Amino acid sequence: MGKGGGRITNEIRALRFQHGEMTQQALADRIGVTRQTVNAMEGNKYSPSLEVAFRIARVFDVPLERVFQYGEE
Amino acid sequence: MEDVSFQEKSLWLMFASLVVGFGFYFAMVLPPGAADVLPQQVVLFVVAVVMLVVMQVVGHIVIAIIDRRTATDERDRLIALKGTRNAGYVLATGVFLALCAALVTDGNFVFTHVLLASWVLAQLVEIGSQLVFYRRGA
Repeated sequence: MGKGGGRITNEIRALRFQHGEMTQQALADRIGVTRQTVNAMEGNKYSPSLEVAFRIARVFDVPLERVFQYGEE
Repeated sequence: MEDVSFQEKSLWLMFASLVVGFGFYFAMVLPPGAADVLPQQVVLFVVAVVMLVVMQVVGHIVIAIIDRRTATDERDRLIALKGTRNAGYVLATGVFLALCAALVTDGNFVFTHVLLASWVLAQLVEIGSQLVFYRRGA
């Protein structure tokens, strides 16, 4: 996704399961996106806006860095 | 096809209806019989547009019944913007080619049909690239 040689990955799938096996649809409803977008984020096919990223961190009550990681490819 | 959203189904419908509607039109009017657009070709164009509208309206009703969730989000908007950008390149090239055609051919048939074909191709590129972005990532 990134253009600077880095790659954004995330722990959304793991966090969902740690939070009562939350479904993709339940998370999607809480952060205001479609289930397909949650699925695309989990597959690292889409990096969300900062606003959505912060909403995800808020749902799981963790810092942003716990949800998203930026690493060199 | 698993995990296909309402938007993707809608795009497939629009792609197919464009191919059918304008495929029918171009199959009927090509090769050109005269230098200018004939009245019966205008009628064929109207028929193609009506076919397109009917296919899209009926198809969208069916899709909406099957897939109740029709909401869009930021990813859909980003993908739509990227598709529009790609279509813009095709349309700009087509307009340039149509102007060139107008300078070197007699009558209005070639000019109008290069222009129309460019618009149809731009639409197909817009829709097709959106379908690719949905599958491969935006």
